[in-house]
Amino acid sequence: MEILLQLILSGVALGMIYAVVAFGYQSTFATSGTLNFGQGEALMLGAMFGLSLAGDVMGGPYLNYWLMIPAVLIFGAFQGMVVEAVGVRPAIKTKSEFGWIMSTIALGIIFRNVAENIWGKDDMPFPSPISSTPLHIFGASVLPMELMVDVGALLMMVLVELFNRKTIYGKAVVATASDRDAAGLMGINTRMVITFSYALSSMSAAFAGVLIAPITLTGASMGAVLGLKAFAVAIIGGLNSGMGIIVGGILLGIAETTTGFYLSTGYKDVPGLVLLLLVLAIKPSGLFGKTAIKKV
Amino acid sequence: MLEVRNLKASYGQVQVLHDISLTVPKGKVVTLIGSNGAGKTTTMRAISGMIKPASGQVVLSGKNIAGLPSHRIAKLGLAHSPEGRKVFPTQSIMDNLLLGAFTRLSMGGGRPKGDVSSDLDRALDLFPRLRERQHQLAGTLSGGEQQMLAMARALMLNPEVLLLDEPSLGLAPILVDEVFHIINRLKEQGITMLLVEQFAAAALAVADYGYVMENGKIAVHGPAKDLQNDPKVVAAYLGGGH
Repeated sequence: MEILLQLILSGVALGMIYAVVAFGYQSTFATSGTLNFGQGEALMLGAMFGLSLAGDVMGGPYLNYWLMIPAVLIFGAFQGMVVEAVGVRPAIKTKSEFGWIMSTIALGIIFRNVAENIWGKDDMPFPSPISSTPLHIFGASVLPMELMVDVGALLMMVLVELFNRKTIYGKAVVATASDRDAAGLMGINTRMVITFSYALSSMSAAFAGVLIAPITLTGASMGAVLGLKAFAVAIIGGLNSGMGIIVGGILLGIAETTTGFYLSTGYKDVPGLVLLLLVLAIKPSGLFGKTAIKKV
Repeated sequence: MLEVRNLKASYGQVQVLHDISLTVPKGKVVTLIGSNGAGKTTTMRAISGMIKPASGQVVLSGKNIAGLPSHRIAKLGLAHSPEGRKVFPTQSIMDNLLLGAFTRLSMGGGRPKGDVSSDLDRALDLFPRLRERQHQLAGTLSGGEQQMLAMARALMLNPEVLLLDEPSLGLAPILVDEVFHIINRLKEQGITMLLVEQFAAAALAVADYGYVMENGKIAVHGPAKDLQNDPKVVAAYLGGGH
């Protein structure tokens, strides 16, 4: 029983990481109908950049973990703007329906290669900012960092939601997501909103990177599988549902940790992907996906 | 105030507007009438920047705005309540109205801020139905209420010129009367308006000047009173019904 609880708690932490990255997929999809398939690499770059600041790989540490986070967020936002300007805007401009798919994948591969050349191909440990002695909750032992992941992920999503609801700029982002033409008539520069959503998307991935790095390893290839699974979570939960990605992320996270323990770690990726196939077959808009209300 | 000169626009290879010229003087209501597919909505869209005109000029307060993106045109004081209302369904009525004032509330928005909260009050006075429901999501409103919201939202820009595209489309007759009653009140407040309407008779009754469009061209134009008595216009657009 303790073991199961432990697996669930670890699964939740993993799931929250998926949710944060999936949140990034949602944010660009909402405003522009496009996705950054290099989200996994944005996560990896965030973690690597964070490690370079807070670890000793580049002659550091220069900053402690907490001061490193804002720097990583800015770095992530900037990286997202580059992806949008180089990979997505030209495709939108020429009305190429699928050009952005290839260009965001290509940029992701380029980022991975660059990272391999800067930091090498080997995985490196990321210093944990808080104690790595497990806590005991009802007999299950949990890493404090795993709880921090849950708190950090929720905090980020709550802050973005508050921004969207309470500020005129956030309202403008939501308006752009629901009707780009009408948003333009309000005086909202919708192209800038799309750039912003790419910045936000990569920023959340980079944040996920430095949250998860202390409990896994950091390396140039860490993002590929995470990015793909977060995409699965975005599909399972629904590309337009905030609740969906949290529930979907947690489902997938727990499915992985329990399968890894009870069956075999070799199969840990299978249940999530089976879930993805089931959702696509039965409810393609996602578990919580909704079709927009439209009245004529 | 607003002057359109030789405006041309195309959808792909098909030219839909041929040398449209019209003038909306300050404080006046000008209406654009004509049958479905004549190009009325396209004209409005080309003026507000929702589509890029192929050539021609749109002069707003002395500045040529033809070809600018819609958000820059909005900043210069042109509000457009578009065909099909296009309210933001997932946001509250209050949020929709605040978004209407985006150019006044955001940094570098371009419009003088003025007193947004008293304008909000005035808009809600004009549409009491919206006041009762200000926290409700716009997507849950009826078609008529959404139309009121689209008009109120456009007014929140505190516009130099207001474009109203088919405000009565799809509304029950009683609501059509209400919409025209409100247009009359806006006229009394001195708001400069360009009105596209299917109910030609009602539109000419409220307007100072009218343009009749046919196949992407201006066929006839003149003071609204004259058009009301023009036998050709009467036969084609005012015969029977409204």
